Amino acid sequence: MALLELKNVKKIYQQGKIEVHALSGVNMEVEQGEFTSVAGPSGSGKTTLLNMVGCLDTPTDGEIYLDGKEIGKLSKEELAMIRRNNIGFIFQSYNLIPVLTVYENVEFALRLLKKYKPKEIKERVVHILESVGIGEMIYRKPNELSGGQKQRVAVARALIKEPRIVLADEPTANLDSKTSTNVLEIMLKMNKEMGTTFIFSTHDSLVMEYATRLVTLKDGQIVRDERGDGISVSN
Amino acid sequence: MVRLSATRGVTESVFLIKLALKNLTRHKRRTLITASVIALGLFMYIYIDSMMIGMINLSFDNIIDLEAGHLEIVNSQYWEEKNELPLSNLIGIEDNLISEVKKTPYIKGMLPRLKFKASLNNGIDELPIIVWAVDSDLERNVLTTSEHLVEGSMPQKGKMEAVIGKDLAELMDLQVGDFITLVVKTKNGDYNTIDPVITGLLQTSHPAINDSIVYVPLEIAQKALNVENQVSEIVIRLEDAKYTKTAGVELSNLLNQRPELEVETWKDLSQDIIAMNEAQNMENQFIISIILIIAAVGIINVIILSALERLEEIGMMKAMGMREREIIFSFMIESVGIGILGGIMGCFLGAIGVITLKKYGIDLAWFGFDGMDYGLPLSGVFYGEWNLPVFIFVFNFGVVVSFLSSILPARWAARKNPIDAIYHR
Repeated sequence: MALLELKNVKKIYQQGKIEVHALSGVNMEVEQGEFTSVAGPSGSGKTTLLNMVGCLDTPTDGEIYLDGKEIGKLSKEELAMIRRNNIGFIFQSYNLIPVLTVYENVEFALRLLKKYKPKEIKERVVHILESVGIGEMIYRKPNELSGGQKQRVAVARALIKEPRIVLADEPTANLDSKTSTNVLEIMLKMNKEMGTTFIFSTHDSLVMEYATRLVTLKDGQIVRDERGDGISVSN
Repeated sequence: MVRLSATRGVTESVFLIKLALKNLTRHKRRTLITASVIALGLFMYIYIDSMMIGMINLSFDNIIDLEAGHLEIVNSQYWEEKNELPLSNLIGIEDNLISEVKKTPYIKGMLPRLKFKASLNNGIDELPIIVWAVDSDLERNVLTTSEHLVEGSMPQKGKMEAVIGKDLAELMDLQVGDFITLVVKTKNGDYNTIDPVITGLLQTSHPAINDSIVYVPLEIAQKALNVENQVSEIVIRLEDAKYTKTAGVELSNLLNQRPELEVETWKDLSQDIIAMNEAQNMENQFIISIILIIAAVGIINVIILSALERLEEIGMMKAMGMREREIIFSFMIESVGIGILGGIMGCFLGAIGVITLKKYGIDLAWFGFDGMDYGLPLSGVFYGEWNLPVFIFVFNFGVVVSFLSSILPARWAARKNPIDAIYHR
């Protein structure tokens, strides 16, 4: 059984009197451990797709199954619990909490799980921050970090709870190519070490090069779905 | 297992509290201004409360020390018409009555007193006043009037002497050594005069004594009014005000052979002040309500502004799986934090206010009026009093107002659609 399954998923937004078809019947399956990139021009439905998969939004029509459970029928509270336990998010603008230190930003995700003792939390947080290469910056506030360092904290925050899926919306959009490579290497390492499934939405050809699967969207529909290491980018 | 989960829930709450408190430091000036509005309300409440207690206590002290002692024996019919100061239904001073009264527990002294209306004439003007005819030697054991002499001495027994308030003297252009004429109506309805020389001037914290009361020796007044050996009341001083109730009951029992007599306490004489105090308390509540409504609007504003500024963070928190109630909790803690800060500041300012008020007091003359304008028997300087329960009350009140006013904006923030919040739509 696929970790994630989308069946004829449609999303229609109402903008005034106009209906916007953000997704128009998307069918897709994602297996555990895939490193998938969702590409496509602006307005093609990449972010909408990620929001659906991330339980932040529900489809207008169609079904989404996560681990065999249909998420479209769940309550807000149940969706929140699925996000808490199974999904990690990485955003273009990092969305770190500025009043918390690097350590606390990452610790926050673990605290929400209510699964670990304080000692375990500390060990895990320190370990993951060292893994993403910012072990010496744990007491810094986000405003004392570079863009790349902030995104590493965001990666650590998404991965600390060992989610089934990490969804990354344009994770390298604000980073230079060297830093982007660095962050992608870290994510790839985590994908290999922890078996975490990654789904990116991106315009960045570098990200696509790292992906083992490339899904291309156009006008809310999948127009291409390729698998393989180092997928070449032609569009 | 359940216990372990509960413990971890607590640590999560502790983390949210820590986050909320850190959020308070984001906009220190804004936090401080909102807390200051709360502090101002609390400070005003504490200050006015201290002032009112000071005024009420001084009024009570004036009633006990200068007017009524702790207990008064009066004829019940006289009591009903006491404001008219009638010369009927007086008390005859008999040896057996005095000996019964002396048996009152905790008694320190007693003072037979005759009170009546008169017109004070200085040879040019005439003014209606009240005369208190007493034995000055006995009065010293019961009231503190003689301690307030600013010039001269109290009238001596059997001598045609009088003491008047300094304000009255100034009004009538009188001084020690001047003769005055008191035109009185005798018990039989005839007019008579008393022509004493002024032997002393009084300046007390009781405005009526300063400006409308003349003291004369008891026998002189009794003779002039044709009420020999009779008085309007017997004023009794106890060792301490705390014995008032016990001694009052005992004295009533001692007087049960004289059913026409009744015992009144200083509290019975202070009913107007007590009622005024209650009215003032309501006024105080009104003032704090207005100020705290302003503070509540401030808090609502702060929470909404914070939520708008932190939309992306709220979205992120929701994406991380934070539930609405946890986000509401976080905002409410932030608001309570402002309330606590405001409460501490308000209590601190209040304490400074009370210390200042207790040390330097407030002179009613600064405002051009005395307590009588508000029905309180006081004038001059009065001092504040500590009231610890009011500090606890206002602190809690400030925190509760902060808490309550955060509920709606916190719910509004927590219900934001996570996608709209994250992408700041």
